[in-house]
Amino acid sequence: MWEFAARSLNASTVFTIAALGELIGQRSGILNVGIEGVMLFGATLGFIVAKNTGSYLLGCLAAIAIGGLIAALHGFFSITLGGDQVVNGMGIWILGFGLTAYIGYPYTGPLDMERIPHLAGLSPFFFLAIGLVALTWWVFSKTSLGLRIRSAGESPSVTEVSGINVTRTRYLSVIVSGMLMGLAGAIYSLDYNPVWSINFLLGWGFIALALVFFSMWNPFILLGGSVLFGTLWQFSLNPQLILPGVLSRYIWRTVPFIITIAVLVLMSTKWFSSRWGAAKPEALGLPREEE
Amino acid sequence: MRLGGYEVKLEKKVRVTGWEAATISLLAILIGLALVGVIFLQAGVNPLTGYKAIFSYAFVNKFGLPLTINRSVFILLCTCAFIVPMKAGLWNIGMAGQLYGGALAVFGVALAFGAKETQNPTVAPGIIIALMMLGSLVGGAVIGAIPGFLKGRFNTNEIVVTMMLNSIGFWLIAYMIKEGGPFMGGGGEGEGFKLSQSIFAPMVLGGTFTIPIALGLAALLYFMFAKTTLGYQIKAFGLSPSAARYAGISQHNVPLVVFILGGLIAGLAGYHYFAAVPGVTKIPLNYGDFGDLSFYGIICGLISQGSPLAAIPFALLFGGLTNGGRFVQGQLQLGYGIDYALLGVLMIILVAFQFFYRNTIVWKKTEREP
Repeated sequence: MWEFAARSLNASTVFTIAALGELIGQRSGILNVGIEGVMLFGATLGFIVAKNTGSYLLGCLAAIAIGGLIAALHGFFSITLGGDQVVNGMGIWILGFGLTAYIGYPYTGPLDMERIPHLAGLSPFFFLAIGLVALTWWVFSKTSLGLRIRSAGESPSVTEVSGINVTRTRYLSVIVSGMLMGLAGAIYSLDYNPVWSINFLLGWGFIALALVFFSMWNPFILLGGSVLFGTLWQFSLNPQLILPGVLSRYIWRTVPFIITIAVLVLMSTKWFSSRWGAAKPEALGLPREEE
Repeated sequence: MRLGGYEVKLEKKVRVTGWEAATISLLAILIGLALVGVIFLQAGVNPLTGYKAIFSYAFVNKFGLPLTINRSVFILLCTCAFIVPMKAGLWNIGMAGQLYGGALAVFGVALAFGAKETQNPTVAPGIIIALMMLGSLVGGAVIGAIPGFLKGRFNTNEIVVTMMLNSIGFWLIAYMIKEGGPFMGGGGEGEGFKLSQSIFAPMVLGGTFTIPIALGLAALLYFMFAKTTLGYQIKAFGLSPSAARYAGISQHNVPLVVFILGGLIAGLAGYHYFAAVPGVTKIPLNYGDFGDLSFYGIICGLISQGSPLAAIPFALLFGGLTNGGRFVQGQLQLGYGIDYALLGVLMIILVAFQFFYRNTIVWKKTEREP
């Protein structure tokens, strides 16, 4: 039972770090629906670097670097060129999906390295995730940097007038956000399930995106949601552990996705948004017009 | 900004003419192909040789050409499935899930008429074929209706919902065709059962009858957007949902209708590939590849700027590129997945080029200051 719980928490680590990245970007007003693409880049490049150098650290660093780079591209399209952020994000997703399929294919198969040591079954990244959640909360609610990022996401023109460089603030958030997404991908491919195959994330990034909406842009609620979905995901992989013989395992695999839809619907009801909808960054997804 | 003796300025475009759009699209494709040429170079293949091999297999070779056409029809249908919601400003990235839904319905109908057990069903094959096709439309439309209804009723993010439905459809098919599922074929390799010859799709002039249907559908959609009230309402909603509301256009119905239409067309794509293309006629082991291929519909829809007729040549081009790409990677010993790489690179170039649909760069000679 503890083993199942630990695996679940390790799965939720990936959701937490990826969604935390998305949350940081969205707080500054930049929506990145290409989160899955950034994660695929991080996961694939991290896997390749780790396999070639034999070093997990280098793998993670490579994933963080590529994540930041790809997110900077999204930033360039969305902030500098002022394009539709959904279109740009879709571009990032399909770029990641297509290019990593080609780049990673020769590495199809298991990583074949000694596993990262776990503490009582818990991945060290789990503790990192909790630290990052606390850090993000602290930065957003206690520091002036956090205030700058939040105001850039709420009202960019007012922010600009108060002497804050919105463009720079947004770039900073978006790049940090991509670094976390890249790292999350690497945690998946190096620690959680170290086997590479084409498009292996199959929806993790999109669930993480839904988790951000679900979190009301609050890192702690995000952590809770991630743990919930990590558990659900783990359960859907091994339903026989808890409910032996009930439904086919393939049917269970659909459950996390169905619940994501259900949660998303609940979030978008009037009942919900009239109570807690105000948390949404006001300028999220809007291109900024130069006056 | 100043460059040399010129003043360079960006100006917002009010509207894009057809010619401008075509030029931008072609330029984007050329740059995308050039970038993928770098991949050829890195693999030690001259890009010109590579592309020559791709195009000659895809469009000249007598084995390659029919495969290209079948893929192109599939991409065209997926493009139409993407375009209809796109006109309403909504993103349908769920063509994969919708075509899985269509495929499930097709084989459900075939199963109901005993196609799995017997080679010679008692009901007239024509009726079964018609019902299978109808089933694909219904199956796709049901999956499509979900994001449409949720968007209209609750304003739920359609991107996440359609993506979730892709994964749901993927696992539903796995359930149906693997490990003793109802659609499992006799071989036990985890494939769907094969249709009997009597209910193969009829051929028209050597090609499947889904080819004229797809072309006709594109023309019909063009007509719908150009001439009908429904098309007008969808476009108005796409430009501004709130303005559309003042014009009396239902906020609930437009998303539902566009997604039902999109899903229905994607369902037909499922019928086309799994039940009509010669040599397949079952849900194959690698059905996920067709889900991936459906994402070309997004690119094709964006590059043709939402015009169903303009999508036809682009669908043909992408059908040829993916088909030829699959072929040359074996012949020229390229890595697997050159068609995936092309998909990714084209998409990002296209996104970058969106900028030119909205802005023009103006060059003006500046007066030299004394």
